[in-house]
This record gives sequence, structure tokens and C-alpha cells, in this order.
Amino acid sequence: MSLDILNQEPFRFLLSVGVILFLVLNLAAVFTMAERKVSAYIQLRYGPNRVGPRGLLQPAADVFKLFTKENLSPGRADIWIFLAAPIAMFIPAALVWLVVPFAPNAVVADLNVAIVFFIAVTSIGALGLIMAGYGSRSSFSLLGALRGAAQMISYEVPLILSLLGVIMLSGSLSLVDVVEAQSGGFWHWYFLPQLPMFVVFYISGLAEARRVPFDLPEGESEIVGGFMVEYSGMTWGLIQAAEFASMGLISAITVTLFLGGWQPPFEFLDLGNFNWIWFGLKTALLVFTFQWIRWSVPRLRMDQLMDLGWKVLVPVCLVWLFVTAGLMLLLPSVF
Amino acid sequence: MLSEERRTENLTLSGRVSGRLANPDVRDEFGLETLDMSMGPQHPAMHGLLRLILELDGETVVRCDPVMGYLHRSKEKISENRMYPAVIPITDRIDYMNNIAMEYGYVLAVEKLLDAEIPPRADAIRALMNEFGRIMSHIPSIGFLLLELGAFTPILYAFRERERIQSLFEAVTGARMMFHYIRIGGVKADLPEDIPEKMWEYIEGLEQRLQPDFVDLIEGNEIFIARTRGIGKLTQEKAVEMGLTGPPLRCTGVEFDVRKHYPYGWYKNLDFEVITDTEGDVEASYRVRLGEVKQSIRMIKQILENLPEGEVMADLGRRIRPAEGDGIGRVESARGEYAVHVVSDGSDTPYRVHYRTPCTVNMQLLQEIVPGHYLPDIMPIMGLIDPVSGAWDK
Repeated sequence: MSLDILNQEPFRFLLSVGVILFLVLNLAAVFTMAERKVSAYIQLRYGPNRVGPRGLLQPAADVFKLFTKENLSPGRADIWIFLAAPIAMFIPAALVWLVVPFAPNAVVADLNVAIVFFIAVTSIGALGLIMAGYGSRSSFSLLGALRGAAQMISYEVPLILSLLGVIMLSGSLSLVDVVEAQSGGFWHWYFLPQLPMFVVFYISGLAEARRVPFDLPEGESEIVGGFMVEYSGMTWGLIQAAEFASMGLISAITVTLFLGGWQPPFEFLDLGNFNWIWFGLKTALLVFTFQWIRWSVPRLRMDQLMDLGWKVLVPVCLVWLFVTAGLMLLLPSVF
Repeated sequence: MLSEERRTENLTLSGRVSGRLANPDVRDEFGLETLDMSMGPQHPAMHGLLRLILELDGETVVRCDPVMGYLHRSKEKISENRMYPAVIPITDRIDYMNNIAMEYGYVLAVEKLLDAEIPPRADAIRALMNEFGRIMSHIPSIGFLLLELGAFTPILYAFRERERIQSLFEAVTGARMMFHYIRIGGVKADLPEDIPEKMWEYIEGLEQRLQPDFVDLIEGNEIFIARTRGIGKLTQEKAVEMGLTGPPLRCTGVEFDVRKHYPYGWYKNLDFEVITDTEGDVEASYRVRLGEVKQSIRMIKQILENLPEGEVMADLGRRIRPAEGDGIGRVESARGEYAVHVVSDGSDTPYRVHYRTPCTVNMQLLQEIVPGHYLPDIMPIMGLIDPVSGAWDK
């Protein structure tokens, strides 16, 4: 019997959706574990090492605890908004994974406007954040939500601007086309001609995923958890899952756009259908750098965050957009 | 956000009536209200139990009223009902980050009452332990400052140092935190034989680790500089006017250190500098604390090099019963000038003990300099003052 049947329509779709859901739901667990181990090694500790071999079952124990925990909600909370917020945060973070190309032919939906889809759907995440902060009806979470709204909306601008260079070079809005345009060794990857854009995309990606130094909506030292201060149990777990999924998502999109997606660094390392290994390795490396930054630097202040976004990142993007356009006009043979 | 009765409670607690709270319907020209927020007493960045009543205009603090007293344990009253030596464990629990200085101040006051002669070895050991105590308090202070800025790692590096010093203290005093080591007339016990060598080893190691772990990692960080430079800026006049002492005073450039200007115990024989800075902001206070750690290392080396021989306890008799009168002990604790005033009525319990803790006085800073800053700037300003809950409430 042939496995070709799996590559035909309803099966292919069901299988892909299953794999994506499995992946996204497990990302949170894997990233929690990674986060705790990385932070432990940075801070001269061991990290979790009691549950299961080398502590690997710790996330399972955590999830079990979260499921058995009572879901508390503040008495004055706007209960529907309060409960809908974690879902509104989780769904967009999981949805974008549909257009991420893992390997040749391993993409659920090869949209010809995948980049626009990514931009559009990630913006919805900010809505969930505002709902969470507003629905809790506490001044701490309200401040967190206001910060989050301001931050995510203003960092959307450099995020989108830094994509444009890649779109110009590849001439396509489809992520598969973007990856295929980067074939043939790491010197063809877009992070080299688009280095400033890569840096800007990385920084605004950090801000979109609300990671340190941009975790102002959480701001655990002043507003003690910000928009999610009132959540407990699985609603809290869902917000965490959404955060980790969006962190993985930002890494995956960065890899796809700037680091050649599934393309191996050298031609002779081509693994054919197993090229998703390259994709996974690069994504894991980026996630590691996210965690490295998280445990090394302090948090920015709101006004400094805005300054960085509007006065540094946006101008850099605009300048490099024109440089890219000029180079493409002058040297059509290279680009 | 606060209901009417909470408002009244706030007014009573803060002892102040501001225009905003008295008239909750004040709005600015855009029809926008300010936001009242009660931060603490259960709040991770409040150095224990402190409540701040804040009035926020967006993220800018318009008004900041600290409410103290959530950790009040009647230290002064308890001290009146205990015999003189039995007060020492009480003083341990005032500033629990720097207990040795707390013991030292009380013991100095009682010794002044008694007019006691202290053996030189005891004096030297006291100074030695006091300087270790300062390192033990300053390095976590730096860690806490970073923790409040959002960087979690430095606090663990700082606590590694604190734990190692605590192990040394455990070998000397038998306890890791509440030492009860400095006694009236000397110290509890001589240093164990191998301890001076271990202390020397530790100090050498700390000297090497200080640069990479607490300077390069912290001062080299752009975000740290951006978050601390110019924050909590304080002028010399204002600092003196408010009666600040310790690093918050010295970071404005006022050279005042009890160890230097009113030397006590072994400090007369030590060669050290008073670290000052000119800026008077959070970054300057960080630099002052780091400089003081270096000076402490220098002093510990001097003490260990010529540690006098002899007894560690003066013979004061079993029962301590000073004549009528009063005695004041002033020491430079890690947070500023700590003074104890003991009044004796001739019995074997003090008639009155007053603890002047630097934290209580330095906390005035919050009300004065926080308004006008952004909400997240409160945390580094708390790091500048570095108060300890047990010390401001007593």
C-alpha cells in the first residue's frame, strides 16, 4: 500500500491541521522547559530536575496542575470579556502557523498572500490583550493593557516596513516563494543584503511577542503581571501558551523570511524531504537567542520603547527600503 | 477606582489631604481624570511591606504617599522590658539585611553607658564582621536594583556572594542570618582557627568576580544606563535638608560617613576613603555602593593583616546594670547612619531605647522626588534608597 493517499485532499488537510495543532499545543510545554533550563544555566542553577528523567516531565506536571486549579475571576470583572480574552489571544497565535512552510511541500496552506495573512492575523493578538486588561477591571491590568495596546500597534509599523525589502527582493508575497528564492547556500539568504531590516524585524518581533526587554504589558516589577494579573488556572495557562506560540511563530517567520527557511546552509547538506530539520534547528536557535536576551537585560520604559520604535527602527527601515530599491535598479543582475 | 470609604481611609492613613482626593471630580481640560492606585503592601517590588498611594496621570506619577507601618513589631517597647544583653537579638531583626551593624550600634550605646574598655582583638573582629556585613548587604542591593528594572539574573549572582559570606558567618557565629554575635564588652567567641585564611581566600575571589559579574554585566548595559541615568535626581541641598545618610546622601557628593568623621571601634586604625559621586541619581548610587564594597574589601584585608592577639571579651561582671544616664551609639550601617539612644534608670533593663534607622529617614525621598517620574521609575528610586521593611517600621 502506498502512502500517497495521505497526500490527497481530505487526508492531507486533516493530517496537516492535526500536526499543526499538536505542534502549537506542545510548543508551550517545550518552550517552558527550555526557558527554565536556559535561565537556570545562565543563573548558575540546575533548573527543574525532579519530575521524570532530567526533569523532562515538569511541563506535564505543570499542565496537570493548571487543569486542576480553580479558575478565579474578580468579582467586578466583565466575565465574558474576561474569559474570551485568552481564547482571542491564543487563536491568532496558532492560526498563523498554517502558512509557515516547514519543508518543501510541507505547508498547510500555500497562500499567495501569506505575508499579508501573517500581518493581519498577528494584529488580532493585541485585541485579546486589551480585552484581558479591560475585562479584569483592575487598575494594574488596565495599565498593562494600555501599555500593550500602544506597544503592539506602534511596533506593527517597523515590523511591516522591515518585511517590504524581502518582498521586493523575492517579488512574491508567498512564504514558499520567499524560501525558494533563497536557495543555494547561506550567502543567498536575505539576512545579508537586508541586515538592517533583519535586525529591525528581530527587535520588533521581540516587541510583538512581548519578551524582555519589551515585556512592558507584563512589567512584573511595577504592575505585577499587567494585563494577566487576575488570571489563574487554565485561562492563565492559555495566555502563556499564546505567548510561547507567538514567540515560536516570530522565530519561524524570521527564519522563513531572512534565514532561508528550510534551505540548508550549504548545498551538499540538502536533506530532501527531511529539510524540516534545518528549519527546526534555525527556529530553535532564534528561540534560544530570545531566551538569552530575556535573562540578560532589564526592561525598557514606555517612553524609551516608543522612542526606539518611531525614532530609530522606522527611519532605519525607510532608509534601507530606498537603498534596496536603488540597488535593484542599479545592479539588476545581482538582485 | 477607590470607593468612598477607601478614600477616607487613605486620607487618614496618609495624614494628608490632597486636592484630588478631597474632590474626586477634578478633571483636566480634556475631561480626563487621574487614576488612583494603591501599590502594596503586598507587592513584589516594595522591599517588604510598603504601601504607596499613587495618583497617576497616564504613566506619570502626580502624587506618591508612602504608608508605613505594616511590619511594625514594637522593637523599642520590647527593648524596654528586656535585660541589657537580651536586647541584642531584638536589634538583629531591625535591618535583617545588615544585622551586624544593628547589633553594633546598640552595643556601642550600652558600652558608652558603662564606660567599658573593649579588648583590641574584639574591636578588630567587630569591624571585620561589620565590613563583611556591609558587603553582604550592598551586593544584594545592587541585585535588587536590577531585579526591579526587570533583569532577573544579577540577583542570583548577588545571592551567591551573600550565601558564601553567610557560610563564613555561620562558622564564626553559629547562625546564618540572626547572628547575636556582638555582645556587650566584646564578641561572643573568637574566630575559629582556619577562618581568617578562608576569609582572605573569599575576599581575593570576590575582588576578581566583582569586575565581570557586577560591573561589566551591569554598567555595560545600554538599557541599565537609560533606565537609571538622571532618574531620582537629587541636589545636595535637598539631601542635607531631608537628613539623608548613607549612599543616597553620598551619591549627591556630600562626604559624610560616620566611620570617617565620628570614628568608633577599630575604624580609627583603618585607612579607607569615603566614596562619593556627583550625579545624585540612581546610577550614582549604584556606583557608590560598588565603591563601598571595594573599600570594605580593602578594610577587611587591613584588619586580617594585623589582627591583634588577646582576649575577645571584657570582664564586665555577670549582671549589667549601668548607672543612671544615657548613651548614644552611632554606626554607619549599609543604608546610612544608624544611631541608638539608650537611657538607663539604674535598673537592669533599659528605661528607653530609641533606634534611629536610616531607612525611615531616607524614605522621605519617595514623597519628594517620585512625583513627575514615570510609574516604572518608582522601582529604581526604591533601589536608590534601598530601604528594608524591618528597619523603617522597627
